[in-house]
Amino acid sequence: MGGGQNPAALEPMNENMNPDDAKLGALLRESRVSPSLPPRFQENVWRRIEDAEAPVKSGSWLDAFAALVLRPRFAYATVAALMVAGVLLGTYRGAQTVKQTEQTRYLAAVAPDSLR
Amino acid sequence: MNRSLVILLGALALAAAVFAGSYFVSQRACLMTRSSDELSWLRDEFHLSDAEMARVRQLHEGYMPQCAKMCALIAAKQAEVQTALGNGTNVTAEAQKKLTELGELRAQCQAQMIQHFVTVSQAMPPEQGQRYLAEMKKVTLGSHEEIEQSMSDHAGHEHGTN
Repeated sequence: MGGGQNPAALEPMNENMNPDDAKLGALLRESRVSPSLPPRFQENVWRRIEDAEAPVKSGSWLDAFAALVLRPRFAYATVAALMVAGVLLGTYRGAQTVKQTEQTRYLAAVAPDSLR
Repeated sequence: MNRSLVILLGALALAAAVFAGSYFVSQRACLMTRSSDELSWLRDEFHLSDAEMARVRQLHEGYMPQCAKMCALIAAKQAEVQTALGNGTNVTAEAQKKLTELGELRAQCQAQMIQHFVTVSQAMPPEQGQRYLAEMKKVTLGSHEEIEQSMSDHAGHEHGTN
């Protein structure tokens, strides 16, 4: 592919880039301004790179807790646990109420209030 | 308001709703299983077999007319006591007599009731029978004992202070 280029097209550039022109080279080096870097520039660059790559951190414990609550796995587990707890407690209390009601009904039949 | 706080409050409300919903639904479902049989408590509480239950039912059905008869007699005697007491400010001899008769009727009814409990307890397996009898004595005679105990305690305090 490179062999397909026309060498004549590069000629004007080669004329300007004469490696023997030492004076021109010195002038170019002097004219190049190299600003001084701020203190701990490199360290700061790396830190910013690391911060950008790290997962987003929330500002407070409330945000962190909200983020935890909104995680699907946590939310599903909590809902399931609450449902199981509610069903167990409701069944237990329901059974207790049924037992109490049936006992009261039996007692009302065999032992009138005036005898108790 | 802070967004995280709103989310947490919403989650808390949702959690409470989930818990309350499952609690009330299961409680309601449990209450719907309630039997209409008057003796279902005996069967469930004392783990009676069908044969034991049939015997207990027979005893129960034999006892109920006697119980109803005694209740009617007590109610009639109570009406007589009310009439004898009238609007007077002192207890007449007639009212005293009616009160004694009412007490006798109640004692007779109570004895009949205890006898029924004893008979029913004998139709149950021994361990369950003893438990049934103890429970019945507690709920029928226990309240009288508590009242009498509290009265004697009170009397004791009175004597102590004098």
